Amino acid sequence: MASNTFVSRRRAPARRTAERRAAAPERQRTLISPAQLARPRGRAVYWTVFALVTVLFTVAFLGPLYWMVTGGLKTTQEAVQSPPTLFPTSVHTENYSRAWTVMDLSRLLFNTLYYAFGALACQLLFDVTAAYSLSRLRPVFGKAILGMMLATLMIPATVLVVPQYLTVLDMPIVQRNLIDSPWVIWLPSVTNAFNIFLLKRFFDSIPRELLDAAAIDGASPLRTLRSVVLPISRPILGVVSIFAVVGVWKDFLWPMLTLPDPGGQTLNVGIYSLANGVPENVLIAALTIASVPTLIVFLVFQRNIMSGLTAGGLKG
Amino acid sequence: MSAPTLSTGKATRPRHGQPRTARPDSAREEFVRALRRNLSAHGFLIGAVLCFSFFSWYPMVREFILAFQKNENGRTTWAGWSNLSRVVNDPAFWQAWRNTLLFTGLALLLGFAVPFVVAVVLNEFRHGQGYLRLLVYLPVMLPPVASVLLFKYFYDPGYGLFNRILEVFHLPAQQWLQSTDTAMLSVVIAATWMNMGGATLIYLAALQSIPGELYEAAELDGAGLLRKVWHVTVPQTRLILSLLLLMQIIATMQVFTEPFLLTNGAGPEGSTTTVVYLIYQYAFNFNNYGSAAALGLVLLVVLAGFSAVYVRLSRTSED
Amino acid sequence: MRSAGFRRHRRTRRTSAAALVTALTLTALASCGTSSSGNNNGGGSGGGSSDPSAPLDPKTKVTLSIDCMPPAAKAAELREWNEDIKTFNKKYPNVTIHGKSTPGQCLEPPRFTAMLKAKSQPDVFYAYFTDLEQVLDNDGAADISAYVNDRTVPALKDIQPQVLDVARKDGKLYALPTSNYTMGLMINRKLFTQAGLDPDKPPATWDEVRAAAKEIAALGKGIAGYGEYSAGNTGGWHFTATQYALGGDVVDSTGKKAAFNDATGKQVLQQLHDMRWEDNSMGRTQLLKWGDLQKQIASDKLGMFLAAPDDITYMVQQLGARYENFGMGPIPGAQGTLFGGNNYMIKKGSSPDRIKAAVAWLNFKNLTQGKGQFDWARTKADQLPVGLPQPNFFLGATKAKDDAERVANATMPVENFKAFMDNPVTGKAEPPKAQEIYKILDNAMSGVLTNKNADIDKLLSDAAKQVDQVLANQ
Repeated sequence: MASNTFVSRRRAPARRTAERRAAAPERQRTLISPAQLARPRGRAVYWTVFALVTVLFTVAFLGPLYWMVTGGLKTTQEAVQSPPTLFPTSVHTENYSRAWTVMDLSRLLFNTLYYAFGALACQLLFDVTAAYSLSRLRPVFGKAILGMMLATLMIPATVLVVPQYLTVLDMPIVQRNLIDSPWVIWLPSVTNAFNIFLLKRFFDSIPRELLDAAAIDGASPLRTLRSVVLPISRPILGVVSIFAVVGVWKDFLWPMLTLPDPGGQTLNVGIYSLANGVPENVLIAALTIASVPTLIVFLVFQRNIMSGLTAGGLKG
Repeated sequence: MSAPTLSTGKATRPRHGQPRTARPDSAREEFVRALRRNLSAHGFLIGAVLCFSFFSWYPMVREFILAFQKNENGRTTWAGWSNLSRVVNDPAFWQAWRNTLLFTGLALLLGFAVPFVVAVVLNEFRHGQGYLRLLVYLPVMLPPVASVLLFKYFYDPGYGLFNRILEVFHLPAQQWLQSTDTAMLSVVIAATWMNMGGATLIYLAALQSIPGELYEAAELDGAGLLRKVWHVTVPQTRLILSLLLLMQIIATMQVFTEPFLLTNGAGPEGSTTTVVYLIYQYAFNFNNYGSAAALGLVLLVVLAGFSAVYVRLSRTSED
Repeated sequence: MRSAGFRRHRRTRRTSAAALVTALTLTALASCGTSSSGNNNGGGSGGGSSDPSAPLDPKTKVTLSIDCMPPAAKAAELREWNEDIKTFNKKYPNVTIHGKSTPGQCLEPPRFTAMLKAKSQPDVFYAYFTDLEQVLDNDGAADISAYVNDRTVPALKDIQPQVLDVARKDGKLYALPTSNYTMGLMINRKLFTQAGLDPDKPPATWDEVRAAAKEIAALGKGIAGYGEYSAGNTGGWHFTATQYALGGDVVDSTGKKAAFNDATGKQVLQQLHDMRWEDNSMGRTQLLKWGDLQKQIASDKLGMFLAAPDDITYMVQQLGARYENFGMGPIPGAQGTLFGGNNYMIKKGSSPDRIKAAVAWLNFKNLTQGKGQFDWARTKADQLPVGLPQPNFFLGATKAKDDAERVANATMPVENFKAFMDNPVTGKAEPPKAQEIYKILDNAMSGVLTNKNADIDKLLSDAAKQVDQVLANQ
């Protein structure tokens, strides 16, 4: 399941679209036979189901977004009115500006991006080097280390939340309190065994000849990594990056505990802790604003994100 | 294709790390080379290993230690089994487990089956697949707090949208989150809406790798739609299905955010109190880290049990 | 649970932390700009008197860090704070006060816990009345009994004894109060008038509450007559208040047994159940926690709920409500009421001079009639609210003077709070292990409010069993 998406990601964009168009008619045979579909009755059923599903999905997945956008335009009274109104009876765009300033959404958005991309940088740095070392340099105890890393996959993060929390309060050896520091998000994000596993598997699959050639040229491991391994690993790096960013973007419990300073909170936690302090319509407006950036990013990069997520397999 | 792919990973895996240029008298040289290789290898590893040590391995050890300690009047002392017995004797313990298992069960029923059915249906569509996939995946990208609060509004028995919809169809209004009977179900529905996109996409990818001939063969045997699904689609995606199943069990057993935000934690008569919420309460509201760690330990053991059973099952089924 | 407002402000980031992501983990850890756990304790030079009961010698050089300074967003409060420091420094020119402001609430439990665990609290730190146990378990506060007397805190004898009692453990004093509250019945005057009720006479008994709630709910449009919490440990908190109001108790005098599984406890739940299910006067949305009812009453969707007077400030400043719209009466039943509040503690390990300086500052800022927070003329001039019944922890002559000044400078119709002021109800402290007990009682509250067929006896006996267990585990 992974390979075809990877292949398509590596092709030049122009070629890709051309191929997509060409590939449409010869699409793979699926559950229902083409012959069955070609019959008039088959076609009728197909279109009925298709229309039903399309309408249902549009309502189920875009409906809430519509409600959110319009809810943010209503008055406080109307937002909690029973029965709810489909269209705002009067439009109050000032709710949005109020949400923006009162909840300091720009700060929250900036924080979240700062944490997400910092975590991404840390993961790319530490996880890629680690996976490369485990895959290619094969140090002594490498197997044991990998095993211990993979074992953490079986132990979900929330189980360890209490000892982890006490650890960041007073880091052993270095004697630091990481609370309210961005490192409290960045460094624990490195312990992503799944990403290391994905990276290692990919590095394992790089043909030996490529690396041997580099070794004969006298390249150091670091140079080999940089100029041989990384360039051909772009697809997997993309997948890992998405996981890294989405992970921070969606996290709630850990940032709630470790970033209590309201000036440094993430979007999720900030909205949660301020939800009580603003009227409902302003809160709904804030939810809308908070959703917009990801929706834009998602719509722009949807092909990469979706193929990346499926290719990467199981998480997300 | 000359470039490697994930799926061919195992085939080209080299046996040894370094090419051997065998020279008989170079044992010493070999050693120096091995040493250098190891030094740089561990240099590459150190960052991740340190992070794992600080944020995974050490906390794991500490979890065990904490579970047997208590904190009183500024002194930390050994508590023996008292934390554990306290946790187990707390009536909320069994309730939290019942709720967590209920959530897991419902989440599997909905969060596991629904995406599969959706994927199977979407995979048949010759049109608009991109749009529909986009829709299904949309909620995954929303900040979870936004989605959850959204559902909180929809569920409101007074002004909420859902009761309004029921009313339009002349169905009886529901209490949703406000009743012991439906609270957990409501949480699961919201969670499924939020998270089904990921699983759907993975199933879709798996479905696309099923060879079409299998369906043709089944049709020759006179199999109908459902039998084709049961005898071709399900077996062909079994690996992915079972992997996702385990992942989902592990993920849903640590559910926290959804009930925490939807029902302010406990829910009607505690009916949405989950194990992780109980851990949170012990540690951060009652300042009782010992009990929190003890409960974490119990959860750890249960999840490890699930993982072990899973590994067993997947081994025997491979044989 | 108490909120001092959620306003936020910009704050310069620690940029040093952003520096190099490429550094190795250890270097990274070492370079990050967070405060390390050890504060420079015992600081403060100069030779003050060695007698702890003597006031601070003005010649002593001391620096004090203190939290809960108003954030920049609260410009007027911040200006008052700085004025007060200036005035204070006229008498004590050698005391340097470093205020730390927190946007939003001064105290949020996770942050507070973290602070105590890491021992990173400032020299003088803000706490709730109920935090003492937790602070002492973490060895966080200094015993200030010897430093607090009539010379250092002249109004000491006029401070309500119960407000000081909550700051004591085993006879030792650990904190000085800044504010207090007792719970009463908050009403929405507009809805009272609309429903044909007299907003100047809030219901005084639970039967009257029930009747009034019915009238208000009859206004329709999703308006609830009476509102109550049942989640986030606030349901148990209000159960306790109602139980006290009816003359009941939550934990018996030995502190080892639950005391609410009785006729009073049953009455508390039964009347809520009846209002919710028989009268339909409590709205359909339940599982509410602190903040939810404030929103409802601020948007005229709720007629009454149990609250402390300072909730009004919150509703006006955060939710855009108006002072005139609210009134308060004593808690119905009036046999007793829950009281709580905030105080300041001094970090354990502080030098005697530092403790003296802290006591001097706290006395000036928070405990002197006509000065600091009780300078009502200035508060009015700064267009901040004057006239709320609380904080008000004075007795005798000090109280009389303070009350008179409050009325003279009032910025809101104080007669709306007359019923509350004229009928003071004896305050009663929260039970031991309050949060754990509240969590258990949340279940009983959500039970009657979400289940029409709730078995009240069973809810109470189950809760009592669990509370007994919590108390036995102390």
